[in-house]
Amino acid sequence: MKLEELLATAEKILAPWTVGLTRFEGRRLDVVLKREGLVAAVAALADARWGYLSAITGLDLPWPKTPPKPEAPPTPPLEDQLEVLYHFVDGAAVVTLRLRVPYSDARVPSICGPVPTATLYERELHEMFGIEVEGTPVTDRLLLPDDWPDGVYPLRKSFKGLEAPSRT
Amino acid sequence: MHTEPTAAPRKFVVPIGPQHPALKEPGHFEITVDGEIVTAATARLGYVHRGIEKGVEGENWAQAMYMLERICGICSHVHATAYALGVEQLAGVQAPPRAQAIRELVAELERVHSHMLWLGVAAHEGGFDTLFMYSWRDREIIMDVLESLTGNRVNYSCNVLGGVKFDVDDAHADEIRRAIDILEPRTHHYLKVVTTEETLIGRTRGVGKMTQDEARRLGAVGPTARASGVPRDVRVDHPYAGYADFPVKMVTHTAGDLEAKFIVRIEELFESYRVIREILDHLPPGDIAVKVKPRLPAGEAISRVEAPRGELFYYLRSTGSTNPDRCKVRTPSLCNWASVLVTAPGHKLADVPMLIAGIDPCFSCNDRLVTVRRRGGDETWTWARLRQYGIEYYR
Repeated sequence: MKLEELLATAEKILAPWTVGLTRFEGRRLDVVLKREGLVAAVAALADARWGYLSAITGLDLPWPKTPPKPEAPPTPPLEDQLEVLYHFVDGAAVVTLRLRVPYSDARVPSICGPVPTATLYERELHEMFGIEVEGTPVTDRLLLPDDWPDGVYPLRKSFKGLEAPSRT
Repeated sequence: MHTEPTAAPRKFVVPIGPQHPALKEPGHFEITVDGEIVTAATARLGYVHRGIEKGVEGENWAQAMYMLERICGICSHVHATAYALGVEQLAGVQAPPRAQAIRELVAELERVHSHMLWLGVAAHEGGFDTLFMYSWRDREIIMDVLESLTGNRVNYSCNVLGGVKFDVDDAHADEIRRAIDILEPRTHHYLKVVTTEETLIGRTRGVGKMTQDEARRLGAVGPTARASGVPRDVRVDHPYAGYADFPVKMVTHTAGDLEAKFIVRIEELFESYRVIREILDHLPPGDIAVKVKPRLPAGEAISRVEAPRGELFYYLRSTGSTNPDRCKVRTPSLCNWASVLVTAPGHKLADVPMLIAGIDPCFSCNDRLVTVRRRGGDETWTWARLRQYGIEYYR
């Protein structure tokens, strides 16, 4: 299939769950989804045998902490967010499913049902960003050391390193 | 002595690693066996996780490349290439054709050295140390070429943002041609050995078989996928760097066993030799680099290249500053683990090292904290301390 066809097919498959859509440089398609639609959308791609899951990227998007100007009208504070990108690849085409979750409700459903190989990526996502992946089959540590403190997520922007261990 | 006839079959777990004489890199596997037969397998990675993805967020766009290049000592060039191509996408510039051809040339030389390294390791895991020593001896020829071309045996540091750092002159070209002329007949010999040598065939033919459907479903990439007949090769699917001008043919095989993995990688060597000669004969004239501003426009870029082990995936995010906001690296070994863990059950325990070696795993690539293990116990070093240590060491 040609690149254009591939992207059009993916667009059509994902249409029922699409909230927002962007095309980039002719070979990339970004689809914004809601949490409820993720598993169904991934299952639809997998059923149609559209490419394969190439990677899951986590992003930390803390709301910039700039002091409010005194004369500016009061605005409701926006919440710190995390974003998860699911990159599917077929030939030259890359389809990215994007899902944003607030810090206060940092959970996404597991896609291991339709794509069993996502388990390693989901474990990495949980360890690095503290996003709870609901229903993922294995939650053991994958990359971080066994003595790594709980609740410390190294790829969050707020992480600036651990305290140096005291020397005895 | 008697056994309980009603006793349920007992599971026995054989831990392999993290330090294991058959694997030169740290990874921990728990292999559940029933007698000699593997019934389940799990992996624990991260023993060489260095936090590079976090590390680059503190470096500027140019510095980050040197750190990313050190993700892997075997395929360092593909990391730098994937990153440089991603940054060029963000910056909206394109490296000149000569630079792109040189990137491809070094990538293919790297593939030759990597595949020969794998051939040696895989032969060694199969108990065939003669082949291991011959292939590693021949690999030195390529290492010498890479050293004289780039100044380094590993971490060639060939890329800069916007092009490459050095040019290839006629003396280099002749040296590379001479090296390929020696290696080509040797490679024919290796292909004959792996397809006719009874002792090796006993360990490879029909072992670790993965069907095309399984390979697709498990998301295998690189030679692991191509040995099962899945045509996946970024060089062909989405030509980057010089691959549009100097295309390569995809090598696939249908058997899906370990022997097919040997054949695919060795046949890819011939394809690399051919394209290396072609690049040397038709190297486009012109500049080797364009300027890239230190501050990149806000945006996102996805860059994919074909590493010796398969598709290497980079995601870069810029917020318009001098530093990357996020740099995600997904290396091919991570994709291919699933294929080992799924194909291992049903095989003999003794086949496990071969199955693991079959995907050509690269642990440094999977794991990306700096923990220096010393006799006094564990210490976590800060970047500043490690840097200072390096400066003092080389003083």
